[in-house]
Amino acid sequence: MSMSRRTLTAAVFALVLPLSACGSGGDGGGSADASGKVEGDITFQTWNLRANFKPYFEGLIAGFEKKHPGTHVKWIDQPAEGYPDKLSADAAGGTLPDVVNVSPDLVAPLAEAGLALDLDKVAPQYKSDYLPGAWASHQIPGKRGTYAFPWYLNTGPLFYNKALFRKAGLDPDRPPKTYDELFADALRMAKESGGSVATLANVPTIEDFGRYGVPLMNQQGTAFSFNDAKGVELLTKYKELYDAKALDPQALTATPESSGKKFLTGAVAMNPGSALDLGNFKKNAPSLYRNIGITDQITSTGHVNMYVMGVMVNSRTKHTAAAVAFAHFVTDAQNQMSFAKKVAIFPSTAHSLADPYFSKEDGTDETRVRVAAAKSLKNAVNYTPVLFSDQMKTALRNEVAKALQGKESPKAALDNAVSTANRLLKQG
Amino acid sequence: MTTPTTPARVRRQLPTSPWLFAAPGLLVTGAFVLYPFVSTLINSFTDRRTLLPGRFVGLANFRELLHDDMFWTGLRNSTLYIVGVVPALVVLPLLLALLVQKNIPGITFFRAAFYTPVVASIVVVGLIWVWLLDERGLINSLLESVGIGRVGFLSDQWLLLLSAMTVTVWKGLGYYMIIYLAALANVPRELHEAAAVDGAGPVRRFLSVTVPAVRSTMVLVAALSSVAAFKVFSEVYLMAGPSGGPAGEDTTLVMLVQRTGTGLTGRVGYASALSVVVFAVTVVLMLLVLRADRREEP
Repeated sequence: MSMSRRTLTAAVFALVLPLSACGSGGDGGGSADASGKVEGDITFQTWNLRANFKPYFEGLIAGFEKKHPGTHVKWIDQPAEGYPDKLSADAAGGTLPDVVNVSPDLVAPLAEAGLALDLDKVAPQYKSDYLPGAWASHQIPGKRGTYAFPWYLNTGPLFYNKALFRKAGLDPDRPPKTYDELFADALRMAKESGGSVATLANVPTIEDFGRYGVPLMNQQGTAFSFNDAKGVELLTKYKELYDAKALDPQALTATPESSGKKFLTGAVAMNPGSALDLGNFKKNAPSLYRNIGITDQITSTGHVNMYVMGVMVNSRTKHTAAAVAFAHFVTDAQNQMSFAKKVAIFPSTAHSLADPYFSKEDGTDETRVRVAAAKSLKNAVNYTPVLFSDQMKTALRNEVAKALQGKESPKAALDNAVSTANRLLKQG
Repeated sequence: MTTPTTPARVRRQLPTSPWLFAAPGLLVTGAFVLYPFVSTLINSFTDRRTLLPGRFVGLANFRELLHDDMFWTGLRNSTLYIVGVVPALVVLPLLLALLVQKNIPGITFFRAAFYTPVVASIVVVGLIWVWLLDERGLINSLLESVGIGRVGFLSDQWLLLLSAMTVTVWKGLGYYMIIYLAALANVPRELHEAAAVDGAGPVRRFLSVTVPAVRSTMVLVAALSSVAAFKVFSEVYLMAGPSGGPAGEDTTLVMLVQRTGTGLTGRVGYASALSVVVFAVTVVLMLLVLRADRREEP
């Protein structure tokens, strides 16, 4: 008997049907009620933290398991590179961990897809534990709810190379404080070095437009608006810098890592960073470290840019109570404070920033950066709109590059970027 | 006299057993080739996102890509890649193979050396070339020391593409050299000797004996390298950065597929339509090359 057509068809269906179950969709179960008993096995995913903070997280997990017998937390850490892709693969494949380290722009699509638990519904009692701004950072325009516990906040100063400032005839003890001073100093640096030393290594990003005072979105959060006169003004200034080689020629293709390397090798005079970078300078570029200058982020709004990290609970977790309890445990005041003492980050919990640890200097650069950053955090803003996707970032970057190369006017470039971003926003 | 017959039990099993043997292969092919292919084809007619199921939108994605500047940029760059890379990868490895074909002392070292880039990771290769071609890299320092000045290998749209092509050719030389070495080993020595007796010099012998003898291999190399060139991703991604060079001008089609279809907000439907176009162009390329080969058949 040869294999019949029916048998073959059945075999193909048997092969294809299980596969078709892959991908998004399908209710993985799990209760949206966090009031049950805290028990069960959950998974917790962090974003590139194992290498430096393994003992901290092991202690944290052990502490939670001791507090809630009957729970077991499996810790997964993912590398920084490609983290959003890893999340999207897990989310689409139905293997998203129960508790996930996210940033607000990553939460937005997960919440849209119904994968992030609304904490305003299941855990409103914890809201008052956090700074109001931090709690609001994981809310999505046009959608009710808060979709992650705020975790650590970070901001950073602007580093500059005093030796290069001195060489260009600029006062190394008076770094630029305003955008006008920055642009003037940058043009002078390029002129004095014959174009071999640029002051900046990155094209303006959405955060830069925000810091310059450009309104990024309309009030309702339904359309982008960074193509206004102020936005055009910023891009026009950057074009002047690019033409004068005050902006590194490779800025059009730079990544934060590559511009950091440029600063390390003395090819650029200023670069944003965090207190973490000081250790890197000390180890990898001692001569730069001896000449390092630290100044505040330049802003026209009076508010520096702040990065917010959050901890999200997967809405399809089978152990909602345990997952919510653990996410809160990771981000509570005590554990955030303990984490902040291990690394230069800042807690998002109410009153924590009042701790003397964030206000007393001991004369070292590290504490200077920490104290200054903690002070600026009190009114810092996360300028990246949560709905500004990677595709939108690429569109803005490409249009900015066209303007800097003179292929388009700054106005036309920003109009195009806004039009593309709005189209992508509408497509959902 | 009795005719030997197959026992009934064996006869029943015979037609099924080939399928059983083929099953593991079929399963793997079905899961990792057939299913993704069919799925991509279906997705190309939907507006599916990474996390949101799509609706059927007919040919909307294909219509949209006709009006997408980045699609045309990608198509241009992928096509330019074929034009720039394929002739070099057909000719240079053949010359290299002729050089290392000779059995002289130490030739194995050179064969191994030329093959090394093939086994090296493309990421490592890409990073090395980025360091070499950087504004402050070795090559620019040399150019500056001889008074030429720094060249924007990684900041100029066309030089960046050319640099990526150079890396592709450099990395592919050894691979195709091995294929040619196998073909050259089958060229009868008598033909060369006869041509030499007739007074043909090395160039004449190369054109009249070697090239016709390895013509099929050249077609194979052209087919393989043109498909690989059209689908280039790593070299350009590593050298031009994730944005695809200044203003995305060095983006290739596969880079565009990756950029459009991945991430939490990826437009899977649109990226699938782009993939279908890449597939269609690749098939056409293969058919063209094979047809050219058939036409030249004596």
